[in-house]
Amino acid sequence: MKWTLYGPDALLFHFADKLGDAAFAKGRAIVAELENHPPPGLTEFVPAFTTVLLEFDPKQVPDPVRIAPDLAARLEATAAAEIASAPIKDIPVVYDGPDLERVAQHNRLSIDGVIALHSATIYKVYMLGFSPGFPYLGDLDPRLHTPRWPSPRTRVPAGSIGIGGEHTGIYSVASPGGWNIIGHTALKILDPGRAKTEASEESMFYLRHGDRVRFVGVTVKSNP
Amino acid sequence: MTRVFEVLTPGLSASVQDQGRLGWRRFGVPASGAMDDHAAAWANRLLDNPPDAPVLELLLQGARLAVVEEAWIAVAGADAQANVPTWRIVRVRAGDQIHFPRERSGVWIYLAVEGGFEAERILGSASAYERGGLGRLLTPGDILCRKPDASFRLVPTVAGRSVAWSERRDYDSPPPLRVWPGPQWNCFSEHERESFFAQEWTVTSRSDRAGYRLTGIALKPQPSQIISEPVRVGSIQVPGNGQPIVIMRDGPTVGGYPKIGMVDPADVSWLAQCRPGAKVRFRIVG
Repeated sequence: MKWTLYGPDALLFHFADKLGDAAFAKGRAIVAELENHPPPGLTEFVPAFTTVLLEFDPKQVPDPVRIAPDLAARLEATAAAEIASAPIKDIPVVYDGPDLERVAQHNRLSIDGVIALHSATIYKVYMLGFSPGFPYLGDLDPRLHTPRWPSPRTRVPAGSIGIGGEHTGIYSVASPGGWNIIGHTALKILDPGRAKTEASEESMFYLRHGDRVRFVGVTVKSNP
Repeated sequence: MTRVFEVLTPGLSASVQDQGRLGWRRFGVPASGAMDDHAAAWANRLLDNPPDAPVLELLLQGARLAVVEEAWIAVAGADAQANVPTWRIVRVRAGDQIHFPRERSGVWIYLAVEGGFEAERILGSASAYERGGLGRLLTPGDILCRKPDASFRLVPTVAGRSVAWSERRDYDSPPPLRVWPGPQWNCFSEHERESFFAQEWTVTSRSDRAGYRLTGIALKPQPSQIISEPVRVGSIQVPGNGQPIVIMRDGPTVGGYPKIGMVDPADVSWLAQCRPGAKVRFRIVG
């Protein structure tokens, strides 16, 4: 497994060359290993699509380059191991976003076609980033790939479901954003309040790296 | 809890920060924490506070605080012509007002109180990360409290306690910032690397707690985009326009632009205090 030194106290490991089921399974296996058997001195790790960053306490690991080859071999072996399939979490979605038309036009589809394709895939949570708990979901049907807006909107509401290039994702907090918004969910992807009532602080994040997600279309009934 | 201050006005921006929210970047949560950890640490050290005691971070100028109850404080960091002595301990009394009228040098001001400020901890940290919905900026009328069990006792024979001049920084003349080659070092030709290290970069006004944008002779990495991968505080990303962005404490945890390098963690505090228009240079570590 390839690695690079990343600053004085961290290593970046490359466990795959491209996205897909194989990269996803490797990433999950590596994360499970780092959670269950962290190497000595590990302070934090950050998984992404095809790479994982490992940061070390400089007092315990003064020169990460020295441990890199052994660690690379260990992660390589870990990545090859079988791992139980990821849980699937349902996300209710109302397909009412302002950019449905843009996605449809770009891909020469009807709006119903966009909705059908988007909700037909079980997505992989490849990584969380951009904002707390924001999932980068793949693999998006190539017939839905749509470039981001050249100039981002100044405010995209929390719960917005968007398409950015070849990914789909869910805005966890209101923020500026350039993805094409095709719908929204009432589910709280990030809910700091949840951590106050449940045992684990992690419960504030609805999704974790390695989860799978299914969008379930719902229609909103207008008030009687 | 012991009340110490009422925020009359936060000025350009005011928040509580500590050493940051460590261990949550895999959930997309940046560490946050004091932009200039050097000045923040000195403010705490002057008062015998633990290093992770929350401090008040103020941007540039305009903040005004009313003292509610007598306390020892210490102000360090940027110079905004405060009406209290800085880089030393100061006893403030009920009815006093502390204000920071005019920015003069540096960007971020730190105010520590004996025992440290009381603040809600989210994911183990009191650092406000407003953009991410974790904590918020201070607003007029906010009451700031300190830990009541402050252990700080000024030795009576010591007239004062201050930071040695040699430890205070001249924010107007930062040293060349040390840079570690980044994961995409090889995306930059010899010529591009030379250009990066030879030129003087200007900090732009489009800089904030998430990132400092620099401007200079554009760099041209090949390829210009990569599969998104983890970024760190200090990572120097080069987007399509060739103008580098240095990731700061509230910055994203992942990104898809090539990174020529990473500012050494010990030098990020120097960059943090660079004002828009300031010139910075980089040098390779070693």
